[in-house]
Amino acid sequence: MISIRQVSKSYGSFQVLSDCSTEIKKGEVIVVCGPSGSGKSTLIKCVNGLEPFQSGEIIVDGISVGDPRTKLSTLRARVGMVFQHFELFPHMTIVDNLTLAQVKVLGRSRDEAAEKGLKLLERVGLKAHANKHPGALSGGQQQRVAIARALSMDPIAMLFDEPTSALDPEMINEVLDVMVELANEGMTMMCVTHEMGFARKVAHRVIFMDQGRIVEDAPKDDFFGQPRSERAQQFLSKILHH
Amino acid sequence: MAYNWNWAIFLSETPSGESTYLGWLLTGLQWTVTLSLSAWIIALTVGSLFGVLRTVPNRWLSMLAAAYVETFRNVPLLVQLFLWYFVLPELLPRGMGDAFKQLNPLMQQYIAATLCLGLFTGARVSEQVRSGIGALPRGQRNAALALGLTLPQAYRHVMLPMAFRLVIPPLTSEFLNIFKNSAVATTIGLIELSRQAQQLVDYTAQPYEAFIAVTLMYVMINVTVMFFMRRLEQKVRVPGYLGGNPS
Ligand SMILES: Nc1ncnc2c1ncn2[C@@H]1O[C@H](COP(=O)(O)OP(=O)(O)OP(=O)(O)O)[C@@H](O)[C@H]1O
Ligand SMILES: [Mg+2]
Repeated sequence: MISIRQVSKSYGSFQVLSDCSTEIKKGEVIVVCGPSGSGKSTLIKCVNGLEPFQSGEIIVDGISVGDPRTKLSTLRARVGMVFQHFELFPHMTIVDNLTLAQVKVLGRSRDEAAEKGLKLLERVGLKAHANKHPGALSGGQQQRVAIARALSMDPIAMLFDEPTSALDPEMINEVLDVMVELANEGMTMMCVTHEMGFARKVAHRVIFMDQGRIVEDAPKDDFFGQPRSERAQQFLSKILHH
Repeated sequence: MAYNWNWAIFLSETPSGESTYLGWLLTGLQWTVTLSLSAWIIALTVGSLFGVLRTVPNRWLSMLAAAYVETFRNVPLLVQLFLWYFVLPELLPRGMGDAFKQLNPLMQQYIAATLCLGLFTGARVSEQVRSGIGALPRGQRNAALALGLTLPQAYRHVMLPMAFRLVIPPLTSEFLNIFKNSAVATTIGLIELSRQAQQLVDYTAQPYEAFIAVTLMYVMINVTVMFFMRRLEQKVRVPGYLGGNPS
């Protein structure tokens, strides 16, 4: 469903991504980890065209992201994305956050969109908050709304960029629970996260990045059993012992 | 030397006999308000447009917008007014220039002053709008685009509503400035409020009354503008954001 082929990207002379390749099949859950600055966010943003890249190719559901003829907004409407800092729209109520793109992008009627939005809010346990503004919700609640907002577009795949790293520890699980449920339903997911418990539970594969390269791309059990590269071993022992 | 206060002066007739001195002041007030409001409409429209252009990912558009801002912000207002009033009509295509010169003088002054004040203030508004957009978390734009909104839709529904809320206070002071700056229009002969005060002094030898009255009128304008802008600010206030934290 998502093919990343020899993708490279640089800012001036600084190489952020070097020759990254991987393949994500329909229904697969991939966890991407690696030290800060290794290019995880950049790679995931390349997948829905939020970051341009200079060489290589990314194909999402048969559509080439880098092709100048591709209408990126159409592609993005089909791929959900969840950000570290939630990025709900603060001037809109929760339900309006969920209906905006359904109405403006998919052309759904306001009622239809609101109905869908409320159903998704119910699913993440926040229906009672539908008419509040994001500022009135906790971080964990905001992130669950953000997931619901992405799902309201009926995405074919979901991208997560460190969805729990801005949260207080006691709120991390409520967000991970929603993600686990989503994974169990067969959603195709690419998750940048350091939550190894989540990776162990639902990931099919783990990708480890360092200095812009995909250093390791292995089935979960292999990765946790014995990572091949020394960098990955070091990294793993560091985050598992904290 | 004792000064003879005479507040009744406002009710006495002017030499030409068709109005009272108070009538003069009110006509001046009317021109000041008309000129300032029409210039403000131009300033907001043009300023918002160019403020947005400065932030879009297109080098030519943002350079164009930067050129506008730098030109109109850095040339003194008085010089700009003379250019609009005296020089521009000569540079226009013959027909247009002549048509302008055939308008009645008051109309010529009003048009030149409105364009001048509007575009001058527009450059300042554009800087405010740009800084408002710049103050938004960068992720907001990405979040909007990631949902499939186009860039114009992202501006229209996500970024501008917040950016404008952020810059209501500085825009209020630009709005107040436009009333004060409108006094430059006297230099091309438009008889607005400050010019009428001058006339009153010339005709009546009651300078204190004249200037106190005019000052009060400017204060009144300020208070009214601030009242409405404050109301607007409260009306669009986002719960749990910008000062009112719920937790
Ligand atoms: N606009 C930019 N201009 C120049 N360098 C950039 C830019 N954006 C990111 N970088 C650099 O690219 C590298 C990779 O950034 P990226 O955000 O993808 O890392 P990351 O793996 O997501 O890190 P983190 O765990 O801190 O989020 C970093 O070294 C960063 O400094
Ligand atoms: Mg990152």
